[in-house]
Amino acid sequence: MAEGAGGAAANGGSDEKVLDFLDSVDSYLTTMESLAPILRQGWFDLASARHSMGVFRVSSASLDLKDHSASTYLQMVGHESDDSFVGQPSFSLCKWASADNKSCCSEEEIPDSQLRHRGTSRLSENQEQNSNGDDSLKTVDDLVKKERAKTLSVFGTLVSPKLRTAQLSFETALEVLVEAANIRSSMLSAYSQVQKQMEDTREGEIGPIP
Amino acid sequence: MYGFEALTFNIHGGYLEAIVRGHRASLLTASDYNNLCQCETLDDIKMHLSATEYGPYLQNEPSPLHTTTIVEKCTLKLVDEYKSMLCQATEPLSTFLEYITYGHMIDNVVLIVTGTLHERDVQELLEKCHPLGMFDSIATLAVAQNMRELYRLVLVDTPLALYFSECISSEDLDDMNIEIMRNTLYKAYLEDFYRFCQKLGGATAEIMSDLLSFEADRRVVNITINSIGTELTRDDRRKLYSNFGLLYPYGHEELAICEDIDQVRAAMEKYPPYQSIFSKLSYGESQMLDKAFYDEEVKRLCLTFEQQFHYAVFFAYMRLREQEIRNLMWISECVAQNQKSRVHDSVVFIF
Repeated sequence: MAEGAGGAAANGGSDEKVLDFLDSVDSYLTTMESLAPILRQGWFDLASARHSMGVFRVSSASLDLKDHSASTYLQMVGHESDDSFVGQPSFSLCKWASADNKSCCSEEEIPDSQLRHRGTSRLSENQEQNSNGDDSLKTVDDLVKKERAKTLSVFGTLVSPKLRTAQLSFETALEVLVEAANIRSSMLSAYSQVQKQMEDTREGEIGPIP
Repeated sequence: MYGFEALTFNIHGGYLEAIVRGHRASLLTASDYNNLCQCETLDDIKMHLSATEYGPYLQNEPSPLHTTTIVEKCTLKLVDEYKSMLCQATEPLSTFLEYITYGHMIDNVVLIVTGTLHERDVQELLEKCHPLGMFDSIATLAVAQNMRELYRLVLVDTPLALYFSECISSEDLDDMNIEIMRNTLYKAYLEDFYRFCQKLGGATAEIMSDLLSFEADRRVVNITINSIGTELTRDDRRKLYSNFGLLYPYGHEELAICEDIDQVRAAMEKYPPYQSIFSKLSYGESQMLDKAFYDEEVKRLCLTFEQQFHYAVFFAYMRLREQEIRNLMWISECVAQNQKSRVHDSVVFIF
């Protein structure tokens, strides 16, 4: 009886891991499919901006070649050992980091709540801080606006709203890419767990080798 | 004196007016655009254009084509036509034709100065300049550190020298100052062109004042919309508006304090010619505003050909060709990005 109960529990556990893996695959495919239309819209908006402002004004010749720090960073947490993942790597986007103030204006960790997940979702500390207080939100908004305008200023200070729309589209595409990377990381982790489970089950059935 | 141009215009201007009317007949028609909109690739577009006057300019371009290549070659054709008219023009038509290119000269100056600020190679920047706006000492612009040097070293010997008096300062050139310089120069240029046309008198003055007023008003609207949410103050915005046009001066006062597109719409709808433009847009939307303004501009430019013995046909022809090149650029981008359903968002049919 005890063995039967233990076997049922083990089966239930392995089913849950397989379901987790399938959920993560589904989320990954959905996320990747949503990326293409966002990028298409971004390129279309850029073409609209070139049509509005003139091809001689919006061109690669306007881009800044001076040394300057990146306005957006990608942070990775978690690493891989020789045998397995010590921790599942996760990625977070630090957007619109100001050159004066090295901290990000808008730091996001793409939450796992996007997955059809049996666990609980969690929000990053920065998101919790930003949701508290209208003043801090306003300050963050102003800083983000300022950084966005600074990036576009290579094409001139008075740019068409279409160029700003293109910028937003590519910003969204970047967020989706980071989200896809996190989901892929979860997917690979779930897959390795399912594989481990299957190997353990096989060893259990065969028994120890004399 | 207005009404007597028929007696004397053809002595000096008759031949070139006939030339420009001949060029006007070669502008692409609605059926050309319909064929182009159905193309699947840029090579198809090249094939369709080979049957037009753009054919010789595109025939030697290797595949795969790029949209910028199509724009460059079509622009070369416009430049060749312009130069052939300019070399045969006498005063005051030659000065009139030169005025048409000063806008491009201003854009080129700003491109070189901005590119130098961003540590771009000067040769690369010169290749990206508009060919109609080139002048001899343009490469020397890369040396200037502030506007005073810009004027002293280079622009003092160019037609833009007159327009610089309003924006000379020793301030270093940065993105905001360059943008203000661009718009201040363009404002001064438009006002000067307007005064020149008024001095010419007759049908040229009447038709050009309408076209230039529309241009000034469109600039006012674009500056207003583009400066919403930026650091440009209301006073600075007001200073960039030209001092003529239908919107001058009361419309300018209202537009200078607008903070969103709906306020701009409310200010513009008081003027009947612009009410019809804004009636095509839904509230809060500005995406189709460019197309609406281009539609209106093309209507006015086509009407200039209904009258004879004036110089506005040259201005209208240049602007209609530039619109045609914009159309070709848009169609090429839609085809290249596989967005053919959106091609009619921005194509303006000319005839």
